[in-house]
Amino acid sequence: MFGISDPSIWIGYLLALGFTLACLVYGLVNWNNGVEDERNGS
Amino acid sequence: MAVDTGLFVAVTLVYLAATIVLGYLGYRQTKGDDDYMVAGRKVNPVVLALSYGATFISTSAIVGFGGVAAQLGMGMIWLTVLNIGLGIFIAFVVFGKKTRSIGSKLQAVTFPDLMGKCYQSSFMRYAAGLVIVVSMPLYTAAILIGGAQFITSTLQIPYATALIAFAAVVALYVVVGGLIAVMYTDALQGGIMLVGMTVLLALTYVQLGGVIEAHTALAAMSDLVPEALAAGGMTGWASMPALGSPIWLTLVTTLVLGVGIGVLAQPQLVVRFMTVKDTRSLNRAVLVGGPFILMMTGVAFTVGALTNVYFYRTDGVIALAAATGGNIDTIIPNFINASMPDLFIVIFMLTLLAAAMSTLSSLLHAMGTSLGFDMMRHTGSRGASMKRIQAATVVMIVVSVVLAFILPGSIIARATAMFMGLCASAFLPAYAHAVYSSRPSLLAAKLSLVAGAAAWFVWTAFVHIKESEALGLSNLLFGVPAVLSAPWQDVDPLVVALPLSIAALAVGLVLDRHRVHADQDESAGAA
Repeated sequence: MFGISDPSIWIGYLLALGFTLACLVYGLVNWNNGVEDERNGS
Repeated sequence: MAVDTGLFVAVTLVYLAATIVLGYLGYRQTKGDDDYMVAGRKVNPVVLALSYGATFISTSAIVGFGGVAAQLGMGMIWLTVLNIGLGIFIAFVVFGKKTRSIGSKLQAVTFPDLMGKCYQSSFMRYAAGLVIVVSMPLYTAAILIGGAQFITSTLQIPYATALIAFAAVVALYVVVGGLIAVMYTDALQGGIMLVGMTVLLALTYVQLGGVIEAHTALAAMSDLVPEALAAGGMTGWASMPALGSPIWLTLVTTLVLGVGIGVLAQPQLVVRFMTVKDTRSLNRAVLVGGPFILMMTGVAFTVGALTNVYFYRTDGVIALAAATGGNIDTIIPNFINASMPDLFIVIFMLTLLAAAMSTLSSLLHAMGTSLGFDMMRHTGSRGASMKRIQAATVVMIVVSVVLAFILPGSIIARATAMFMGLCASAFLPAYAHAVYSSRPSLLAAKLSLVAGAAAWFVWTAFVHIKESEALGLSNLLFGVPAVLSAPWQDVDPLVVALPLSIAALAVGLVLDRHRVHADQDESAGAA
């Protein structure tokens, strides 16, 4: 994949990109969450 | 680096002027202890993410670990996986939210303060403060050495002048402006780093003919692995070392696990979770933090490995042979100097300076608050704590500068890994227990902290040969550089000390539960 034949390397690249994507999605989905919690004191 | 010094000096002066302005803004906004130590708990999420990332990533991570990738190959990408997965996602979502919420509730302002208040124990506060005050100067000295070496080679000025000037500029805005100044300047520095690393990745692939061609060329170089590295288990620059070999153990246990896990319990990073006003800010920071770290270590490790293709095509040698004096820290600068346009060389120099300054400022602030606030809280008059912390910060700066003059230049990557390993071994289980238990056990935390720190020290001083040989304690007491043979002497201290620290926490929890039951039985009997 992408010119790298060893799966233990390209899986690492896929996971790095996957976690980055997870950060992006998490941030977007929860963009406005977390204010109410503070008002409730939790 | 051979670049127009006048251009670099001009750009650096503009950058330093911007840094001083941001430091002044921090000073203007600092009215009390909360502002000085937790930036008034009202930091913008983008500033938090860039500050966290820029503190996380030092020059050592880019040049030092990039050099390691040039030597050992793309397997270093697994450290990026942990950097993003653990260092950002788990750190912010699992630890950050709880830390912010509890820190705000208990009005904690430093990591030792948080530990002390969660466990209602001055022992925990002093012990955490002591570990920071004793071990952090080593890491700080390593950052100072890296920065000074870089400034010396760039501006051709004496090493001592570079080191003192570097420390003085950063100290100025840390001491005067506190954490607001540190985080504002971090954000600027993080922005510069992001631009520099993005351009570096793009230009490298352009130089090497595209993504797939560059990777294919690197994979085809496996028969050029030096004999000594092949004997240690290395199979190529686009493949992992042989499972269980000495190089695999170093790559996986020291570099990937040691540094990857170590980031979770670093006091200068944990305190940043307490600088925002709500959970929403942490959610938003995750969005910026993940891509930022990918563009830092992901790019450094990929470009580091690919320097082999560049040097092979241009000079017929692998990157290791292109390193000045065999020092792998010089591979990335040598590659940039040889392959990139002059303007980018200046941008990359600024990137390295920004990376060093952002990490250094945060360490100085963490050490100063630990000594001046956590360790010396009961000294001096009430209301004088900010001046005491500022004085303590100056003391810690002087200690770090003196250490930087004493320690060898080759200590940078080793000191980074050692500090992160110690932090995780000593603090991580007790920190996780503190923020995730409604009634955390003090006994369990004490056992975990002491067992983790002691196990880390014993393994470092007597078993892990890369440190035990240099420290000389094992040789002095037992007449051998390491008391255990391979493969144990290649296993990083963290891999042994962290499980022991977790086990000690579990033992403490069981003992505490028995004690509570015994007390209840006694009370019931007396009634």
